[in-house]
Amino acid sequence: MNMARSVSILRRTFMSRLHGAMCPKSNAATQVLTRSYMRSFTTSAKCQDAKSNIGSSEENLTVNFINRNGETLKATAKEGESLLEVVIRHHLNIDGFGACEGTLACSTCHLIFDQKAYDKLSSVTDEEMDMLDLAFGLSDTSRLGCQICMTKAIDGITVRVPTEVSDVRRDQVEKQNKQ
Amino acid sequence: MAQSLKLVNRTSVFRNLTEMWAEYMRRNSEKVIKTHKCLADIPGPSTVSFLTDIFCKRGLSRLHELQLEGKAKYGPVWKASFGPILTVHVADPSLIEQVLRQEGKHPIRSDLSSWKDYRQYRGHSYGLLTAEGEEWQQLRSILGKHMLKPKEVEAYSDVLNDVVGDLVQKIKYQRRQSPHVVKDIANEFYRFGLEGISSILFESRIGCLETTIPKETEKFIQSINIMFGKTLQTMAMPKFLHKIYPNPWRKFCESWDYMFAFAKGHIDHRMADIAEKLARGEKVEGKYLTYYLAQEKVPMKSVYANVTELLLSGVDTISSTLSWSLYELARHPKIQASLNQEIQDVLEGRDIATAADVAKMPLMKAVVKEVLRLYPVIPGNARVISDKDIQVGEYIIPKKTLITLCHYATSRDEKYFSNPDEFKPERWLKKDESHHPYASIPFGFGKRSCIGRRIAELEVYLALSRILTHFEVRPENPECLVKPMTRTILVPGKEINLQFLER
Repeated sequence: MNMARSVSILRRTFMSRLHGAMCPKSNAATQVLTRSYMRSFTTSAKCQDAKSNIGSSEENLTVNFINRNGETLKATAKEGESLLEVVIRHHLNIDGFGACEGTLACSTCHLIFDQKAYDKLSSVTDEEMDMLDLAFGLSDTSRLGCQICMTKAIDGITVRVPTEVSDVRRDQVEKQNKQ
Repeated sequence: MAQSLKLVNRTSVFRNLTEMWAEYMRRNSEKVIKTHKCLADIPGPSTVSFLTDIFCKRGLSRLHELQLEGKAKYGPVWKASFGPILTVHVADPSLIEQVLRQEGKHPIRSDLSSWKDYRQYRGHSYGLLTAEGEEWQQLRSILGKHMLKPKEVEAYSDVLNDVVGDLVQKIKYQRRQSPHVVKDIANEFYRFGLEGISSILFESRIGCLETTIPKETEKFIQSINIMFGKTLQTMAMPKFLHKIYPNPWRKFCESWDYMFAFAKGHIDHRMADIAEKLARGEKVEGKYLTYYLAQEKVPMKSVYANVTELLLSGVDTISSTLSWSLYELARHPKIQASLNQEIQDVLEGRDIATAADVAKMPLMKAVVKEVLRLYPVIPGNARVISDKDIQVGEYIIPKKTLITLCHYATSRDEKYFSNPDEFKPERWLKKDESHHPYASIPFGFGKRSCIGRRIAELEVYLALSRILTHFEVRPENPECLVKPMTRTILVPGKEINLQFLER
């Protein structure tokens, strides 16, 4: 969608919203219209944005996740894509991963790297550190998956999802819940 | 329970009592399984004595202190009936961690709240603070990406810095009225908070920091205060009492009515403005939240509710944090001097800090962490786990129980913070062994944590760095101690008056 067209659509929708405010009866209908036009506009804006962010759309990198049960999940990745995005795009079945959708509000995308790979990662910000502090099973080579972007330097890395200590107490409660 | 007794019997038939005791102590984890306790076993005050505390001994404004008293009397877990609502208090960081780790996919803060009652009563939509389930998730996803991601937040720096500039001018004006002194700084910061959040929501200024303040903004701030003041009272009163003793509920509703009308007025005005610009063929750029909300599949009613809730969330929170920061810095001149040094080292002669600058100020962050440890804006938060019973410490807490997380009690616990009532920002620069990450979590943790966190942090850092660049701050009267009080959120118990000496 070109810019001129987007602007003309925007103009139309805002005028119709204004009209809607003046003529309350048609309000609901205009709102539906507004939403659909606005959405098509934003989607195109987002795609452009995503492309410039990610840099390459080729999936020529790989990353291995060792899941809690020990199973290795192999996934292809694009340069610039965060490890959380890789997990989501491939629908990898890691329970509870990325609860806050990469907004640095939780630590559920906590991953453990081996030292060599860890040394190649971008530096940790204070915000990430604060969240890591609250993570379960923190190690010296822990990072949050939402903050690590794939680069050629770490192509083929293996990262481990921290295992929760099997908690007999919780099992007991779960049994009770089922009863 | 019967089954655990049987287990104990079977394994212990051939042992004498001493052996049994040794085994019992050694296998601590099993002990927990066999002896977990239920809601009825949780200690706590009788309903009558708790209600007396709350209504007769000004307990509502001392709720944060009642956390300390409860913990001292009953231990880290106790229950109390808050009016018609039974709630289990949890006042230990490890136990708070346990609750938060089990909060599930769509965490619920509280399903009994007068805020929700009001929206139902008036037919308004729920905003991010009051919505639940899928509706909440949808709003959180939309707002989270614009409010929490560090890159997105950086983009608000310029807008916020404009507001900070006006704040400094306002402080200069006020201190000319009564030499060097600004009375009741919380009041100045309410206006700063409202101007800041408005600029982010509407990308337009509403004049809170001008010398004559628009009446409607003063009334909006008043309404927030009244609403917070009546929140706990209206929750603790059973509904039938609203008819017999209607005043709290009536005032509560009137304040909300005003806030909803204020937000709607500004949104409608902004929308009309954009429409006009477009009609003239001018370019429209949108880098403000109302615009993002309007872009997505959010119905207008929900936009109104969300903007109302976001507006009110950015006022008292910012005001309290900044007021306490300057209060403590004024009382600790050495720390203030070090912080100013840090700011000047980073700014190298510039006046205005950017997001990248404040990222290089570890003492600044430590100061704000320490302020929020001593005066957590939300002294007690809550969770309801709706779909399963959970274990917290030695207790099984049944699903749908309101669990109160006593953040004030944990952040003032000497087990985790030596000299807990002292302002010592350096404790955050080198954490010692007693540090527990869940002992002070002023913004909460997880997917239902404070959505304004990053914006608020940036706003506070930018404001503090510019205020300290321009002024040295001293208490007006060093003898005058100010204690916090609860008004749903934690606010200064009386006026904080400070001297601002120009550097």
